Amino acid sequence: MDRRDFMKTAAVAAVGLAAPRIARAADSKVLRFIPQANLANLDPIWTTQYVVRNGALLIWDMLYGVNDKLEPQPQMVEGHEASADFKTWTFKLRAGLKFHDGEPVRAKDAIASIKRWMARDATMGLVIQKRMDALEAIDDLTFRFKLNQPYPKMLFALGKSSTPSLFVMPERIAATDPFKQISEYIGSGPMRFKKDEWVPGAKAIFEKFADYVPRSEKASWLSGGKRINFDRIEWNIVPDGATAAAALQNGEVDWWETPLPDLVPLLKKSAGIAVDIADPLGNIGSFRVNHLHPPFNNVLARRAIQIALSQEDYMGAVVGSDETLWKAVPGFFTPGTPLYTENGGDRLKGPRNYDLAKKMLAEAGYKGEPISLLVATDVAITKAQGDVTADLLKRIGMNVKYEALDWGTVGQRRAKKEPPSEGGWNIFHTWHAGADCVNPAPYIALDASGPTAWFGWPKSDAVQEKIAAWYAAPDLAAEKTVIADLNKAAMDDVVYIPTGFFKGYQAWRTNVSGVVKAPFPVFWDVSKT
Amino acid sequence: MLACVVRRILATIPVVLLVALFVFSLLYLAPGDPAAIIAGDQATPADVERIRASLGLDRPFVVRFFDWFWHVLSGDLGVSIFTNLPVTHMIAQRIEPTVSLMCLTLILSLSCAIPMGVIAAWKHGTWIDRLVMMTAVFGYSTPVFVVGYLLAYVFALYLDWLPVQGFTSITAGLAPFLRNLILPATALGLVYMALIARITRATMLDVLSQDYVRTAKAKGVGQRGILFVHALKNAAVPIVTIVGIGFAALIGGAVVTESVFAIPGLGRLTVDAILRRDYPVIQGVVLMFSFVYVLVNLGVDLLYTVFDPRIRY
Repeated sequence: MDRRDFMKTAAVAAVGLAAPRIARAADSKVLRFIPQANLANLDPIWTTQYVVRNGALLIWDMLYGVNDKLEPQPQMVEGHEASADFKTWTFKLRAGLKFHDGEPVRAKDAIASIKRWMARDATMGLVIQKRMDALEAIDDLTFRFKLNQPYPKMLFALGKSSTPSLFVMPERIAATDPFKQISEYIGSGPMRFKKDEWVPGAKAIFEKFADYVPRSEKASWLSGGKRINFDRIEWNIVPDGATAAAALQNGEVDWWETPLPDLVPLLKKSAGIAVDIADPLGNIGSFRVNHLHPPFNNVLARRAIQIALSQEDYMGAVVGSDETLWKAVPGFFTPGTPLYTENGGDRLKGPRNYDLAKKMLAEAGYKGEPISLLVATDVAITKAQGDVTADLLKRIGMNVKYEALDWGTVGQRRAKKEPPSEGGWNIFHTWHAGADCVNPAPYIALDASGPTAWFGWPKSDAVQEKIAAWYAAPDLAAEKTVIADLNKAAMDDVVYIPTGFFKGYQAWRTNVSGVVKAPFPVFWDVSKT
Repeated sequence: MLACVVRRILATIPVVLLVALFVFSLLYLAPGDPAAIIAGDQATPADVERIRASLGLDRPFVVRFFDWFWHVLSGDLGVSIFTNLPVTHMIAQRIEPTVSLMCLTLILSLSCAIPMGVIAAWKHGTWIDRLVMMTAVFGYSTPVFVVGYLLAYVFALYLDWLPVQGFTSITAGLAPFLRNLILPATALGLVYMALIARITRATMLDVLSQDYVRTAKAKGVGQRGILFVHALKNAAVPIVTIVGIGFAALIGGAVVTESVFAIPGLGRLTVDAILRRDYPVIQGVVLMFSFVYVLVNLGVDLLYTVFDPRIRY
């Protein structure tokens, strides 16, 4: 090859490489999706990570599924019978359901799955387990709970979307120790997992399950007919936000679950991209204090934070200047849901009072000891909250020790009950999905049982009494009364301090239709042209 | 020569063992808890404890080290805490994108940097020399991710020629393979190219002032022959050395480049594993990288004998 031939070949190659719009998601039967996080495993019981639950929703079906009003609707079951005292619950599975390996779904599979889920679900599963005398198969399609105490919220428990959700697996898989990971991903959901194509941290492929039998009802969140319009759904893990935005703009992916707030204005201006709120139930930011050690073992110190904390500051740092994305929440429950209340939330309202906060801290015996603030700087939301908190603590005269860590280290540190001077902590930040804050059942952060409570180990008998009363409440009116009291008790004892209610966006190509607002990506009824 | 190669390969074993011990100790001392990450935010402290126990993370350091080390000796790098997949399988899944990226980067860098360095030395003191050196300084001082974003913006978003992210195996054809890899290789190669161009220029300047070059000129050897046959061969030893040393920088750069361009390679695997505290994966990847690095240095040493026959082992 002489120099001219070489130049010609190079030119041809360059034109070939530069063929425009070559990597487009042109195939209408393939949906390319960027999930909120890496899908590192797929056992929705072993881990409570939301991204795993979201993937599991494609593979496994549920006995019940919540609709967009958070009402549990029959999904794998044909129907149920409950005794008048709510002690006996009998369920019948729909006929004709199959697992991806061709085996029929039987009552024994449901029972094994329920048992595994119960062992890991601290708020509802374990309660049912403690009240259970028997869980038995009547025939291949029917099973029955026999309880020694009433449990009126059984359907909600079986269909709750908060993690861990109850997914039905084949008996041999569900028999796995709930604290060990399963290795087979065989479900009866609308898509089957292509384990052979799975590259953890890069891609996860789901293929349409031809034998899936959708319900006849219209789909609504996790209920109704889950009709998939794609042969394949490809989850592309794109760790960098700017790259994900560019890939969406360039048509290389179809749908991005959680665009960064900073990039949303850019996406809104881009042709061919739709942007909308992802989850109408949003999230509640959390200022979590350690109730075991001074100064926050004194309720006065905790209330001092309530007096001084400005939710506006926190939300501005978390979601930026877009005021449609956040609102103040002087309460623990998700705004816009039936049980939302502001009863007892007065300390979070009105002008912030740093002088009063300082006085209360002094009364609580605070004398300038270092306050260990754990900040996961690799997570934008916790970093933003941590920065605001550092400033707030200084304003009220606290000696803040800002510990910049990654989330993995915060996860380890927050479990330590030792004093802060011995590796423990005083404050960390997180947030709770609004779907988990609609009532006390999935709301692990509101539990105030002391040593067995969530990190921070709050102890409040008043809160625990109200939670128990909610479980026994016979109707919505009674629930509302109890929840108003619960909210006040939790505010008075300061189980934790909400830093505000905020929502996030999702973005997709305009040739994709049927994307709905939900606390999880809903793939059924989505289509692409 | 063969005895030397065997000796050097055997010498890699204690090096890799030391690296293994060092990495294991470092991970043991480093804060962070995979059990907490697995359990997720909704889990109770008791759940986290039970998961930690089920993973064997509550065992003493010595027990854990020798358990892991024993498996490594038998070629088993263990199983990922998170994915439940063998580490060797995960490395095998990721090796093609990284090797492809590194090879293409090497090809691009060397094919640009060496002529640039040679020409800069030849045209020493002229505007060509200054232009080459300016380019080298720019390439060396601009972070990989900045170049990456710029290239993606221009060639993917603005010109609409190339994809922003992803990887296509070479088995799917050369054109799709190159389409995905050309931008990341360019971004990663810029630093490498700058480094090699500067060394090539400096070494060539030295060589071009030697007596034998003057003799070659006097004998009527053409400029191309002097530069690329006589001078470059004698300047090759420092260049090959810097190529070998730069390999470590290339590995580090691949981590960033793979993240920016969403390439499912070993760099991203390493970052993900570190963030999650997936100890077996971190240990496996670091061991592999250290082994490869030792081998590259061995290769560099052997290349010395090709370029300079006076060197004997």
